[in-house]
Amino acid sequence: MRVPLPFLHECTVKMTTLRAFTCDDLFKFNNINLDPLTETYGIPFYLQYLAHWPEYFIVAEAPGGELMGYIMGKAEGSVAREEWHGHVTALSVAPEFRRLGLAAKLMELLEEISERKGGFFVDLFVRVSNQVAVNMYKQLGYSVYRTVIEYYSASNGEPDEDAYDMRKALSRDTEKKSIIPLPHPVRPEDIE
Amino acid sequence: MAARGHVQDPNDRRLRPIYDYLDNGNNKMAIQQADKLLKKHKDLHCAKVLKAIGLQRTGKQDEAFALAQEVATLEPTDDNSLQALTILYREMHRPELVTKLYEAAVRKVPSSEEYHSHLFMAYARVGEYKKMQQAGMTLYKIVPKNPYYFWSVMSLVMQAISAQDKKLSQTMFLPLAERMVEKMVKEEKIEAEAEVQLYYMILERLGKYVEALEVVRGQLGEKLTSELQSRENKCMSLYKQLERWPECNALSCKLLLKNPDDWQFYMSYFDSLFHLIDQGWEPPSEGEHCSEGEVRSSVAQAIAFVEERLAVEEAKETRPLRGPFLARLELIRRLRARGCPEEQELGEPLELMFQYFIKFGDKPCCISDLKIYLDLLTTDHHFINRLMETVPLSEPQDDGVALPGDTRALQRHLCVAQLSRALGLHHALDTTGKLDLIRQLKSHYRHGLQFGKSCLKTELQFSDMYCLLASHVYIDLWAETGDETMLWQCLGLLEEGLSHSSSNAQFKLLLILLFCRMGAFEPVVDLYSSLDAKHVQHDTIGFLLTRYAESLGQFAAASQSCNFSLRFFHSNQKDTSEYIIQAYKYGAFEKIPEFIAFRSRLNRSLHFAQVRTERMLLDLFLEADLSSSLEDNVKSMGLCPEEDDIPWTDMRDNRDLTVLTSWDPADRQLSEEQRSFSLQEELLWLKVRFLTLRLVGTLAVLSHPPTPRNAEKAAENGVVAKPDILRPLLDQLNTTLQNGAQFLERGVQYPFLGPSPTRLAHALASGSCHCQVLAFQLAAYVQELDAAALEETTEVQTQISNSFKSLLIQLKEILNKCKGDLLEVKEGQCKTQPTLLENLVFFVETVCVVHWVSCFCAGVLRPLKASLQKRKKKKKEPISMVVFSGFQEFTAGLQSLFSEVLDHIKGQETSLTALKLGELTLEEVMPAGVRIVGFKKTQLLRISLESDVLT
Repeated sequence: MRVPLPFLHECTVKMTTLRAFTCDDLFKFNNINLDPLTETYGIPFYLQYLAHWPEYFIVAEAPGGELMGYIMGKAEGSVAREEWHGHVTALSVAPEFRRLGLAAKLMELLEEISERKGGFFVDLFVRVSNQVAVNMYKQLGYSVYRTVIEYYSASNGEPDEDAYDMRKALSRDTEKKSIIPLPHPVRPEDIE
Repeated sequence: MAARGHVQDPNDRRLRPIYDYLDNGNNKMAIQQADKLLKKHKDLHCAKVLKAIGLQRTGKQDEAFALAQEVATLEPTDDNSLQALTILYREMHRPELVTKLYEAAVRKVPSSEEYHSHLFMAYARVGEYKKMQQAGMTLYKIVPKNPYYFWSVMSLVMQAISAQDKKLSQTMFLPLAERMVEKMVKEEKIEAEAEVQLYYMILERLGKYVEALEVVRGQLGEKLTSELQSRENKCMSLYKQLERWPECNALSCKLLLKNPDDWQFYMSYFDSLFHLIDQGWEPPSEGEHCSEGEVRSSVAQAIAFVEERLAVEEAKETRPLRGPFLARLELIRRLRARGCPEEQELGEPLELMFQYFIKFGDKPCCISDLKIYLDLLTTDHHFINRLMETVPLSEPQDDGVALPGDTRALQRHLCVAQLSRALGLHHALDTTGKLDLIRQLKSHYRHGLQFGKSCLKTELQFSDMYCLLASHVYIDLWAETGDETMLWQCLGLLEEGLSHSSSNAQFKLLLILLFCRMGAFEPVVDLYSSLDAKHVQHDTIGFLLTRYAESLGQFAAASQSCNFSLRFFHSNQKDTSEYIIQAYKYGAFEKIPEFIAFRSRLNRSLHFAQVRTERMLLDLFLEADLSSSLEDNVKSMGLCPEEDDIPWTDMRDNRDLTVLTSWDPADRQLSEEQRSFSLQEELLWLKVRFLTLRLVGTLAVLSHPPTPRNAEKAAENGVVAKPDILRPLLDQLNTTLQNGAQFLERGVQYPFLGPSPTRLAHALASGSCHCQVLAFQLAAYVQELDAAALEETTEVQTQISNSFKSLLIQLKEILNKCKGDLLEVKEGQCKTQPTLLENLVFFVETVCVVHWVSCFCAGVLRPLKASLQKRKKKKKEPISMVVFSGFQEFTAGLQSLFSEVLDHIKGQETSLTALKLGELTLEEVMPAGVRIVGFKKTQLLRISLESDVLT
């Protein structure tokens, strides 16, 4: 989960059209994706999300027609083990539309969809170094559930980076069991 | 790799090592292991298939195919073989063979749910909609599960969508699909949301909006829960289709009351409002206004509605929402457009925009919000002055520039600067004024850096946009005065910006554009790669690289960037098919037509056709030497010159032409007309290139008997391969060049930050196009000579000899257009001459074409001469053949021309090296100057040398 420069403001000033992300948006999202922390995935990755969880892929459009930002997520996990949850795969906002609380709004939508699906919690991965994003998620009610060692592999000879797996309990998890932090960090191969 | 399920099966155990080798990419060992296994167990078919996969992956396609067919003809029914064959066929890009495989399997095991479902998916992969429909129903009969039934229904919808005859869709496929769903509805068997979605899709496509509305608003509609506001959005779109403006109006207001920030509903509210006014709609005397509740249908009510939303926001303790404030401006604009005097009740736009700025001026998006409404202003200066008065700035510094004290003040000041530009105030300044503006913007930029000292490398600086603004003003100055110093200064400023904000994509994009326009490609490669553009971005911004790489002589880089793009496009076909299947599995029916449209958008991409053509041309240019045969080249790239496989009439322009940020006034922004001109120009140039490619390819076909592939094709079509493809193509090329010249006469100009012009204008001006036409013309004459008896060819011989002479003259003329300094340094000022370099590239490309034509000529003339010499010996008749002497003179002429080119290139290199040595003195004037010296000439040199070996 990568969030480039999100700024949560004291309140929301979005003013946008929120709608389902479609394939045609892939041709228009450069202003969002030409950002060092936003990954442009291969077509299969996007199509997989659009085919499987279309309701979890939402884009925000400005009155002038520019794309402002988008969120991409999924629902997964076993219901029986109370691990059925919403997951944030990507969240990104174009520089011009930051500091408007848009990321918070998109997160709110993802949480609402996950509530409807009967999820126990919502989770996401974030670079340990991305303090801005970590703080934003904390403000939104997320807490660090565990640290995943060397989750982000670096390319240019720099060391691999750890990730925080952050969670927020949904109403179905009345006792908030899903967010009790693990005492020890885990390795990427230990997470499903 | 394939699922390996039952571990107990001894065959599974035996096959396991082969699977593992394949998974690890150890294809050789996989093949060996398979051979070993097959010695012991001859009938273990799957081992054969796995071996075939290994062969396929090591490039032995023919062997792999033969082996696979051995197994396929046995019509296997074991899971392992079937799955392995499916994988193999997919890797071979032969998905149609998978359908044959499972057709056989279900014939043998008719009750297998699994094989039937594989068969359905195999059909889906190749788009056999009718067979999918049947397969779905067969499945449903074997196992009555709802998804199977609806797969069948969806296949009907796909038949409707893909049908050429739209009437057939409306009268047969869709009604049938509708009846199939209705049957399930009547039997109360509808289970899933996806099924309701599909029902809605069918009704919508049938134009049965009333029925669709009933479904959405009724009991079935309750299933539409996954997507947020799914029912409301569907109702809204149906109300618009049905022109039920009262409902549209009432629903919009309802949704706005819930969320006064959702822009789309302001738009639908205002749309409905004016429709109702135009219709003279009156509310019913009693009862509800409409099924969606209260309708606000007068201008007075609309004004009141917006004012109420505003009042709520104004009363808030926290910062207000932007929606209502912008809605007010939108309503003013719409009222003004209709000449409604009530507009004034909402206030004076200048005042309202001023207040908007007060409220939201410290948000980076303030500029994009307000720029939409700038046309409502009458006095621009007054507006800007009033805004500026409110920005808290320090006392002017020594340089007379007053500066902001924090990031909020900075953002406000920046917004005013952006608005000034959008209002055209920057453009209205004279040269001194512009230079002064640049000085101020730079001052603000550098001052603002202090606020971002703690920014990470991945973050932008708060003041970055000042730097970009100043760059834009530099470009204005250059465009106005032609003074190239401005561009050099601009390069320096942007490099400075990049050094403080290394991930600013806008800086990189503008630098790329500037370097390319100035003729220096080398720095562009690193800049572009640091953008990390991948996948679909190859299609949307790949043109930044491919437009200039070749034209500036960077053949290797050009070839590489074409390859990157091509790899993306080629994987598209296979990738999308898989996800169409996934969409069936997950019941995302509305995504299926979307995926298919997406696939077609990529297949019909302008950039795709361009990189495909240029890549092949580059191969022919780079391989232009005597050691390689044209025929081999043409064969290895799979070029079929007889075929025109570019979808000219339905090309998609996927370029992101607004990727560079611009705050220019509306009349200077890229217009729709300019977009379409740019596409037209690209298509003309592509046609020139594609015809050139096919003409060169034709030479290979002419000089050798048709390859088996062509013969096969010809036999298929029932016609004999026609040798006369050269002339028609040449005629087409001539026509296209004429059209190109006509297009250029229009003098279309694009905004600097918009699309770049194609190479067309320079190609025509350099004379290279006409020289190439002449070369192909020569080939046509030589072909004629070949077909006729030697004694009757005096006329054509003269034409050939004349062509040889003219070719030399024309080549020489092009070369003359390459002469001069690429980089003139005069009195401390630099002037680049990219045209000289571009002409040199045109020269080289033309030489390559001439090379292939000469090879063709030599191929025809050599046997002619030999047979002539034989006859001479016999009859002792002195026949003078002008062609032979002409050809000899021609090759001698080429030789001396090439040594001239080489001297020229060496001269250029010497002077560039001299500049490089002088970089210390240049550095202060233009920090970026050093980089521009990086013209890569070796490539040019190599080609020229290779062509030199011609005779």
